[in-house]
Amino acid sequence: MTINTLSQDGVQRQQMPCLTKMERMIISMQDPDMGIKLRNQRLLITVIPHAMTGLDIVEWLIKKCSISDEEALHVGQLFVKYGYIYPLKEPRNLILKADDSSYRFQTPYYWMSTRWPASELDYAIYLAKKNIRKQGELIEYEKECYNALHKRINHTWDFVVMQAREQLRASKQRRKGDRIVLECQEQAYWLVNRPPVSPEHYKLTTLTKNTIIEHNRISLARNRVKSSICLESYVKYCEQYQPHDPIMQGCLPSNPWITDDIMFWNMNSETVALPTKLRVERWSFSFMELLNDQMGRKEFLTYLEKEFSAENLCFWQACEDVRHGETAKIPEKVDEVYKQFLAPGASRWVNIDSKTMEKTLEGLKRPHRFVLDDAQMHIYFLMKKDSYPRYLKSELYKNLLARAIVPQETKKSVFPFMRRQRHSSPSPALATQTAEDDGKAKYSNSNSGTASRL
Amino acid sequence: MGKDECKTMLDALNKVTACYRHLVIALGSTSDSQNLREELKKTRNKAQELAVANRTKLTALLKDKNISKDDRAEYERLWVLFTSSVELLEVDMKRSLEIGQDFPLKVPTRHLIQTGMTGSTTTVAARAMSVQNMKYEADANIDTVDLKELETEIAQVDQMMEEMEMKVQVAPWAVEAKQEAGAELKSTVSVGNSSVGVISICEEEPKETVEGETGLMKVFAGIIFTGVLLIAGILGYLVVNL
Repeated sequence: MTINTLSQDGVQRQQMPCLTKMERMIISMQDPDMGIKLRNQRLLITVIPHAMTGLDIVEWLIKKCSISDEEALHVGQLFVKYGYIYPLKEPRNLILKADDSSYRFQTPYYWMSTRWPASELDYAIYLAKKNIRKQGELIEYEKECYNALHKRINHTWDFVVMQAREQLRASKQRRKGDRIVLECQEQAYWLVNRPPVSPEHYKLTTLTKNTIIEHNRISLARNRVKSSICLESYVKYCEQYQPHDPIMQGCLPSNPWITDDIMFWNMNSETVALPTKLRVERWSFSFMELLNDQMGRKEFLTYLEKEFSAENLCFWQACEDVRHGETAKIPEKVDEVYKQFLAPGASRWVNIDSKTMEKTLEGLKRPHRFVLDDAQMHIYFLMKKDSYPRYLKSELYKNLLARAIVPQETKKSVFPFMRRQRHSSPSPALATQTAEDDGKAKYSNSNSGTASRL
Repeated sequence: MGKDECKTMLDALNKVTACYRHLVIALGSTSDSQNLREELKKTRNKAQELAVANRTKLTALLKDKNISKDDRAEYERLWVLFTSSVELLEVDMKRSLEIGQDFPLKVPTRHLIQTGMTGSTTTVAARAMSVQNMKYEADANIDTVDLKELETEIAQVDQMMEEMEMKVQVAPWAVEAKQEAGAELKSTVSVGNSSVGVISICEEEPKETVEGETGLMKVFAGIIFTGVLLIAGILGYLVVNL
């Protein structure tokens, strides 16, 4: 399991739940009766308490969670990997060994936390302290990090040096055993949070570099719209669509959710004889509106048949089918399309310019979902620029608009008692309220876990 | 001189911040205690006083329009030192609130983490407060009462930092540090010599386990024994020959 502690936008507000669970387990390990047995670590002169062996940890996990040997070892490994327990003999080797190698708990300040990620300033202070202690003998990767940080946060470097000196002076005030523990703790923290980077990571092959450059170039060339223009068109869009919005303008004949009368849906279904006026008006807003409405598409097809350019719309529909259909059927569908629309001398040959045609024919050798995209786009724009405006000016459309019905609002009957109930069913909000009250009473009585009966 | 005063005050703030961090590291571990909580409170208050004093002094100096360019650059450098110090302090205060809430001292079911640190932090706090001995006079429930005060103080520090950012126009990236890389090695105060030998125990593979100790002893014993044998042999030879 990998825990990705770096979020996209920087600081997380909450500690990740997996880390909270680990913390709870660590705290339960501290129990004087039920926790892990601790021994003393003997160094040359000093004795430091609170050390435990890897075997102790694994055995405790087996007993506490009733899990197998393997699983206990894996869980223990997680504790070491994320810095809650650190090894004493081989600090750079962050693994748990189920033998008598010693480990110790990390102090809560240095626990892995998504709320307080390890900062560069702290790392710089740590390296400066180490530099002082070791009289300049830092390890290779630490030297590199030190130099990089010196360049990057140069403006606070004085602070780094001052703070490093002061922190060392402060720790000198403690007795020797505590000082050793402090240094081991800090070292373990930084080994977890700034692990040495292996040289392979640095090798960016030329291929990846080129893809990165290409990607960035495309992103730079992306079309960007000024927000003033964007907002103007957004306002226009809202104004245009407001009469068509059932919630804002109210819908005729009546809102089915209020009056339980489904006439509105029936009148606007796909297979109705005469469409409503609003619906037909919407087709004139944009080409996509026309194509998205099944009835609109049919009408447009009839018009195109009259103009002898129906194959354009059929081709476009076939391409949509390829794009959104089953992957297994793509090769045969593409083949069909080629035979019907693209082959020279095909029955419904579409007029595509030579460049796009060449590209498409090349791609047909290895058909995939988006191989017909360029051709489809070309035909779409052809229809949009040419046939669509003519359709809107045509007799066919105007007749349909004239014949389209404007539904009457359901008459409220004269006698109040004859009127259909405006709110025929109880509001769902009331239903949940009563359920919650019942639930709460039951919960307090029976002390059960679930309170919602919704 | 304004600059020297500023520098001494900044040094004091720096010292207290370092000590405060040291104390916060001990929170939640076995060296946590009522005393530690009181030390944290006192150190924190001292740090805030120093921060406010520093701020007034530095803002007054920076607002002055009649200072030379060099002076201004120097004050900006001091300002960056000051803001970094206060930021560190703020983070440590927030963390101490979090850890303090997670590890209340009086609840028997919440155990402190056994980190191996058992000594007290009195000397560190005494260094922060610049006194010889610390006096402890707080109530028994300081761990819970203090947390509420801590919250208000964090809010105050946050507000102070916001005001600072708004009122003083100093570009931190434009400041150049005086110290170059490795400057801390030229320190005249030897901070690490006494700990250098001890730290190597943590770093490399220490042979100072119980088995290692007896091994070492064995080698010594062997050397002494062979030495004694040699001397005995030489004496015997001399006795025989003379």
